[in-house]
Amino acid sequence: MVSTGREGLLRTHFAEVLARESACLAGVTDGAKLADWRRRVVEELMTPPSPYVLALRQTGDVPDRADFLDRWRELIAETVDRLLQSGTTGDTHFSSGQTRRADVDAQKTAVLILAALHGGSTLSQIAKDPWPLNAALDLALAPFAATEDDSPARTGTSSPISNMNS
Amino acid sequence: MTTADSHNGRRLTARGAKTRARIVAAATDLMYIRGVGATTLDDVLAASGVSKSQLYHHFDGKDALIRAVIDHVGERIIERERDALSHVSTIRGLRRWRDALVQNNGLRHGAYGCALGSLASEVSDHDALARQALSQLFTEWQGLLAGVLRRLQDGGALPPEASVDQLATGLMAALQGGYLLAQTARDVTPMATSIDMALAHIESLSER
Repeated sequence: MVSTGREGLLRTHFAEVLARESACLAGVTDGAKLADWRRRVVEELMTPPSPYVLALRQTGDVPDRADFLDRWRELIAETVDRLLQSGTTGDTHFSSGQTRRADVDAQKTAVLILAALHGGSTLSQIAKDPWPLNAALDLALAPFAATEDDSPARTGTSSPISNMNS
Repeated sequence: MTTADSHNGRRLTARGAKTRARIVAAATDLMYIRGVGATTLDDVLAASGVSKSQLYHHFDGKDALIRAVIDHVGERIIERERDALSHVSTIRGLRRWRDALVQNNGLRHGAYGCALGSLASEVSDHDALARQALSQLFTEWQGLLAGVLRRLQDGGALPPEASVDQLATGLMAALQGGYLLAQTARDVTPMATSIDMALAHIESLSER
């Protein structure tokens, strides 16, 4: 393979992101902590020299990238699963006669969250604006309503309580 | 007939325009398949069959060529998406749009991804002009999605308080992230999952 130096460096970034994500996501046990995680990741992804930016940059074939993304997705899925178990979904948000919470699939939600981070950061980097990344995460983290960043306008303005059918 | 050269404003003869188009087409293919970074001007010369002096007549260097590729790819994708999205006004229509994108990307096991998204993930901070051109193209593409969502809203399929621009951007990010995940995995499944989850959320808004 060409340029083992660059690959070696990328491997270091992959390892660093996974180490930090492993530590941070393990501590996410409720909506507020998920919001903290989100704010930190957005900050990392909007800071060009951060290992997060370098690890996600798509530069040709890098053997370990698939493994890196699989492991990150797995860490996110474990967190989503834990939050679902503990009932940290904004299920009042979803109540419309059916229990949305049971519909939330941890693995698929993790795919969307990772795609939102990846695609959202690409859009944010070309726009030099965190707004697209935040819009992406608002959508991906919608099942956990409490994690929404409180700066931009929210998609739903009506009170969750008033939406309850029960 | 002459056309304006978008790069230096010079008027081009029909033959000059043809040569320029050949260079841009070859560069577009190479950058899509190999990536921007791995494509050299020598590769472009070899693939297009033009001489070095012809290439430098049209382009100052690689950055100028990359910008021409962005314009070319952008025009093609915006045209495709305008055709696909302009008349969509239902969730079902949006799912058909999703099916076509997933189907096409699946032909190559997702190996090459979105032509515009790949450019975006490679040229980001390197060249401000290229970055701005890409940013404008994505804004235009998101505008087409926002148009669909607005028609959904007008038809009552989305609540009036839903932020259409924010949802359109979130959907675009899910699509682009899905492309990138599929590219790395050499499997279109994560792309399909990502868009499906985003569409399911948009659909769920109407149920609240």
